[in-house]
Amino acid sequence: MTDQLSALTTIFTEFYYWITVVLMFLIHVGFCMYEVGASRYKHHQHTLMKNTMLIPLVTVTWFLFGWWIYWAFPTGPGLAPSIMNESAALITDESLFSAAWYVPTSDLMGTNLNDHISGVFWAAFLLFSWTAASIVSGAVIERITTFAFGILAIAIGSCFWVIDAAWGWHFDGWMLKILGYHDAYASGVIHAVAGGFALGVLAVLGPRIGKFSSSGEPRNIGPRNPWLVTIGLFLIYTGFWGFYAACNIPIFNLGPEYGMEGVTFWTATNIYVTPTTLSAITFNFLMSLSGGLLAGYVISKGDPFWTYSSGLAGIICASAGNDLYHPIQSFIIAMVGVWVAYKMHYWVERKFKIDDAVGAVAVHGYAGVAGLIICGFVLNGYPSSGYSVGAMWVGTDYAPINPLGMFIGAIIMFGVLGFLPGWILAKILHGMGKLRIPREVELAGLDYTIMEDAKSDEKAVSSSSR
Amino acid sequence: MATVTNWIDHLSAAEVQGPVYPGVGTEGILVLVLVVLWIGWHFISNAQEKSKMNEIAKRRPGSNDWKSNVTDG
Repeated sequence: MTDQLSALTTIFTEFYYWITVVLMFLIHVGFCMYEVGASRYKHHQHTLMKNTMLIPLVTVTWFLFGWWIYWAFPTGPGLAPSIMNESAALITDESLFSAAWYVPTSDLMGTNLNDHISGVFWAAFLLFSWTAASIVSGAVIERITTFAFGILAIAIGSCFWVIDAAWGWHFDGWMLKILGYHDAYASGVIHAVAGGFALGVLAVLGPRIGKFSSSGEPRNIGPRNPWLVTIGLFLIYTGFWGFYAACNIPIFNLGPEYGMEGVTFWTATNIYVTPTTLSAITFNFLMSLSGGLLAGYVISKGDPFWTYSSGLAGIICASAGNDLYHPIQSFIIAMVGVWVAYKMHYWVERKFKIDDAVGAVAVHGYAGVAGLIICGFVLNGYPSSGYSVGAMWVGTDYAPINPLGMFIGAIIMFGVLGFLPGWILAKILHGMGKLRIPREVELAGLDYTIMEDAKSDEKAVSSSSR
Repeated sequence: MATVTNWIDHLSAAEVQGPVYPGVGTEGILVLVLVVLWIGWHFISNAQEKSKMNEIAKRRPGSNDWKSNVTDG
């Protein structure tokens, strides 16, 4: 920052992302309210604590190794060479975007007068990590131990989602180069992977007591506080909007970046450094929200829980291509995503006896997968990166966006980095006897002793004021 | 511990030193402390949770007993 213009650019960028971080905090507030609203009275406080404690656990581990993984793993390793150093090894050299700068002992991971932005980027991605873990949190309420959930939250929040982000979201990711993967606002990178992970955990964890009758018929355990659910989802929408802004680079000159001599083109870009506009994502965010709400209302016959969730599912489904879609395309894709999520939720529930307490696998997982597959068709032929057309990265080419690549990408997100690790970790925790709370506690309520203590405190206060 | 003792000297140096937190060079120890605190938290909170669960499980309250503990109102 040696002149005023570069100082302004740096501080604007720093402030832009900082604001998105604050907005995204609302996602977590929303998830907490939503989960408490969906849980039964006797489990409220435990449900809230479980979701809250993922904040420090994911933050600490994100500081220790999560952020490093994002910068180290774009090559696989071993799947496609980096466009920066032409090596397929982990990116830990001295290059500009190397993981070497983000080990926890690096002096860039602290108050540093020569680096104004690393902490803000770190935080923006951290908020994505909380979201990934929080998605899982809702699905497993009322029967998982806080210990087990803490381990699972760290696994999805500081490890598996960030591997897929390095592979499919980083401008140097191997999935862009080989598959033509495109997921601008994280249909797969956050939502499908977290949904798949939640399904893997649920398959081992089992349903809440009483969820299925002895003949296997599912029973509805509806939200206990619809108002908290409502406000929670509105807050998630709001934070999601902030997330969209966080996924963009607000101002960038693409001419020199793509190696085009004499060309100046200032624009906002998506996370892949390909052009989009704030106008485009505002159109598409709101149209996909609307498509989701309208479809959810009709499909669920006006059920508020599903209608609100469908607004979210609609955005999630359209998110992969919302940097480029026409708003009406976004609207229709959102409707399709909601239909897929709703139908899949009940089919999986009946067929496999999966008790997804808040519909997290449906809203995030199935809608996310549907969004990736649809994106492969609608954006078929678009370049997955601008770097393949310029002189700057000669020798390394990127596959264009295509249906097969996006389909394989969806399997990687939901299955390979989502379901599989979730299932394996849950099996290990189950084997250790640490996954599920005792039956007696589940029946009595996780908050039983807290409520009992509160009652005795209340009694003491009443008797002293007689 | 102070990395900077005079801002004018610091900012007018030919090359401004970036990190200004106290104890520059001790990052390895700080990270070690963080790891110990993090892992330690899991052990302690797990023991607390186990003890709470065992207490409830031993008493076997009925599934509606919590209602008599509601303090609202």
